Amino acid sequence: MTLSLHHFLMLSAILFGIGIYGVLSRRNILGILMSIELMFNAANINLIAFNHFLYPDQVWGHGFVIFVMTLAAAEAVVGLSLVLAIYRNIKSVYTEKLNILHG
Amino acid sequence: MTMEQMIPTVIFAAMAILLIGLSLIVVTAKSVFRSAIALTAALGIVAGIFALLGADFVAASQLLIYVGGIMIIMLFVIMLSQRSTALTERQTNEQWLWGALFALAVTCALIVQFRAVYRGVFATSVPTPTSVAIGRLLLGDMIVPFEAISLVLLAALVGAVYFGLDYEEKL
Repeated sequence: MTLSLHHFLMLSAILFGIGIYGVLSRRNILGILMSIELMFNAANINLIAFNHFLYPDQVWGHGFVIFVMTLAAAEAVVGLSLVLAIYRNIKSVYTEKLNILHG
Repeated sequence: MTMEQMIPTVIFAAMAILLIGLSLIVVTAKSVFRSAIALTAALGIVAGIFALLGADFVAASQLLIYVGGIMIIMLFVIMLSQRSTALTERQTNEQWLWGALFALAVTCALIVQFRAVYRGVFATSVPTPTSVAIGRLLLGDMIVPFEAISLVLLAALVGAVYFGLDYEEKL
């Protein structure tokens, strides 16, 4: 059995589904951030796989993956400093405690 | 089928099983620290999949940026913000069953579509080094997003410093 494009796409679909489950079910903000990183990586596998199988003489997929990685790094830095600020103020990282705006 | 054609398939199967198992640990582990360690390993295996797909530069950046950068910050924040009582608390909310069903539905829909459309698309060429082509792309056709992302990084840097300041010290 030779590897075909749909094997990689199926792997990234499974990874994306696991990430969706993590985002919807985790109580901890840090767990949600980590699940989002999983979903980013599923998308990156898709981009590289399409680039490798359909357009092997171009590198646009690689360029986009590098941008996605940079944005993920920026998002992680801002998100984690927000988590630390939240923890300093309400002494908790659970999402159901973040309801101080609803009066 | 020769031995040379078998080797990538075996490597892919092993990496896929490891990746799915580690990501399940990431979303289900009771300790956030344990799920961060599992995520580090999972991101390393994603780098291996990039290498299998011939993306040498992207695999190296994945190891440098994700495993060496983002995960280190994440581990620091976890160690700064967790209390030991968290290990005895429930880590899922009330809607986890509906979340699991939704994730399952999305995954099944994607898999059915991918199988129907992209079955039997095989690689037509052997991988070649990509660093030169990526450099020319980033400083050529992609120069506008390349410059824009430096502004995004500057904004992220300023934002992180601002949120990281103590409340009383703020301007």
